[in-house]
Amino acid sequence: MSWQPEVDEITARQNAALKLGGEANIARHHSRHRLTVRERIHALLDDGSFEEIGSLTGNSVYDEEGRRIGSAPSNIVCGFGKADGRTIFVTGDDFTLKGGSSEAGNVYKQRHSELLVRDMKVPLVRLVDGSGGGGSVRDLEDIGRTYVPLGRHRPPVVPVVVENLSRVPVVGLCLGSVAGIGAIRVVISHYSMMVRDSSHLFVAGPPLVNQTGETPRTKEELGGAGIHGKSGAIDDIVDSELEAFERTRRFLSYLPSSVDDLPPRACIDDDPDRVEESLINAVPRERRRPHKVRKIIEAIVDRGSFFELSRTYGKSIVIGLARFDGWPVLLMAGDPFTMGAAWTAAASQKITRFVDMANTFHLPVVHLVDCPGFEIGLRGETANTIRHGARAICAISAFKGPWCSIIIRNATGLGGAAHQPVEAISMRYAWPSARWGSLPIEGGIEAAYKTEIETAPDPEAKRTEIYARLEAIQSPFRTAEVYDIEELIDPRGTRSVICRFANRTSGLRQTSPVSLPLRP
Amino acid sequence: MARANILSPTAGSVWKIEMKLGDRVEEDDPIMILESMKMEIPVMSDAPGTLIEILVSVSDSVNEDQVVAMIETDRDAN
Repeated sequence: MSWQPEVDEITARQNAALKLGGEANIARHHSRHRLTVRERIHALLDDGSFEEIGSLTGNSVYDEEGRRIGSAPSNIVCGFGKADGRTIFVTGDDFTLKGGSSEAGNVYKQRHSELLVRDMKVPLVRLVDGSGGGGSVRDLEDIGRTYVPLGRHRPPVVPVVVENLSRVPVVGLCLGSVAGIGAIRVVISHYSMMVRDSSHLFVAGPPLVNQTGETPRTKEELGGAGIHGKSGAIDDIVDSELEAFERTRRFLSYLPSSVDDLPPRACIDDDPDRVEESLINAVPRERRRPHKVRKIIEAIVDRGSFFELSRTYGKSIVIGLARFDGWPVLLMAGDPFTMGAAWTAAASQKITRFVDMANTFHLPVVHLVDCPGFEIGLRGETANTIRHGARAICAISAFKGPWCSIIIRNATGLGGAAHQPVEAISMRYAWPSARWGSLPIEGGIEAAYKTEIETAPDPEAKRTEIYARLEAIQSPFRTAEVYDIEELIDPRGTRSVICRFANRTSGLRQTSPVSLPLRP
Repeated sequence: MARANILSPTAGSVWKIEMKLGDRVEEDDPIMILESMKMEIPVMSDAPGTLIEILVSVSDSVNEDQVVAMIETDRDAN
């Protein structure tokens, strides 16, 4: 007697699970221009690579004779698959079943997914929709009591979610209206995205918020792209779910599968010694005129390899992943178009997050330094720039991997001083346009020569005279003579310098464990 | 044709207004210059079109992403 009937039952139940929440709910979901969870998984992964785990999970109803008379699948779909040939784990919420809430969920499956990626050492992508497994008040009637949130009545999920941040690359995609624990599962990640005009993210949605006496707001007004494109809660806003999946695959391609691996080198057809003529004129001689830093970045990295992160937040610093002769790095560069490239509170937070990420996953850092210091003035003080800036300094100081700084313009003040770690494997170069010091000359003159200027017969002429004296002393050549800057370089040869650095230090990258757990 | 907002790229103050209403603008043309952290930051058009509104004056303080001007573009809005 064979087990064919039971095997047939397995197949029947798996096929039933493919129907998700039913045709009507799927149609309603599509009408909002959203893909179903299985469509999302299919679009994210390489064709045919999805190996589902927990395909039979769900809720069944049995009659008095023990016959199964009704069923609904779990609203969590998860399993292994490949993204551009590399194994990852994906977990997705099915909004067509009880809005993705715990009513149709299974906390054991959710928690085990997180344990699997930790122990199998593979990247995790969370496709979050609805409450992302969060509780529903209907649960209380089912279980006949209330419970302490995330307490002992169920196996805890959040501790494993937190731990994975220091173990494997995690991408959180907000693909619907996401609140509560769903929102947490998006932002406890290394990279997050939401879809313009489709996704929303909030601690709590309008039904709860509109009960508090606050001005009633729509989902879009409370947690749409207009809010989180600037809040820092989400790294990037995309125009479609397909774009989110493409960017997910690309993000993961720069990182190792876990902290026990090194970031993979890519095969690149781009001359590491390519000379870029545009760079000789990239920084204006007029010190008040800004340069376009993204053009400089594109000129020096492996062609097309710059993948910017969190573009609309902390805009005075440009941060992204890039490659030099195939070696992946975290690249940072000051953008003078925003606040003269000063480190604002937001920019400092962005630096802290991504330098910590690079430290965790053994990515070298390349820093195109242009920083006049921290943001000054009432706006900067109110935003607690000094504390956020201090955290950025700590993150840089704690960085253990190779670090290459190219000072292309300003390196002044506290932010300028923090341009690289002191103890790490680091090299530093400067362009002829570089200027540095504890204070920008302009502000420093007013403080140091206040009396001399105020008592001069012609204060403006005196100011100009002092400025001219100090301008001569600012020459980077004088600093190079005493080895306070290791090397001045022709800007056109910057790519070659960095590629040699990347190759020279590739063997020095180590998979040593992270000393401090990563925080989002 | 559509109306497009021109946003300030940074917090700062308006130092110079380089164009007047009705002027033709091309992509990346500076409409005004802001001063921020001792830098002269151009506010540039994102698209070709005609300048139809200037919403700030010299010496005004502006915030990052504040709408400071509007153009009528040559092409449909995104």
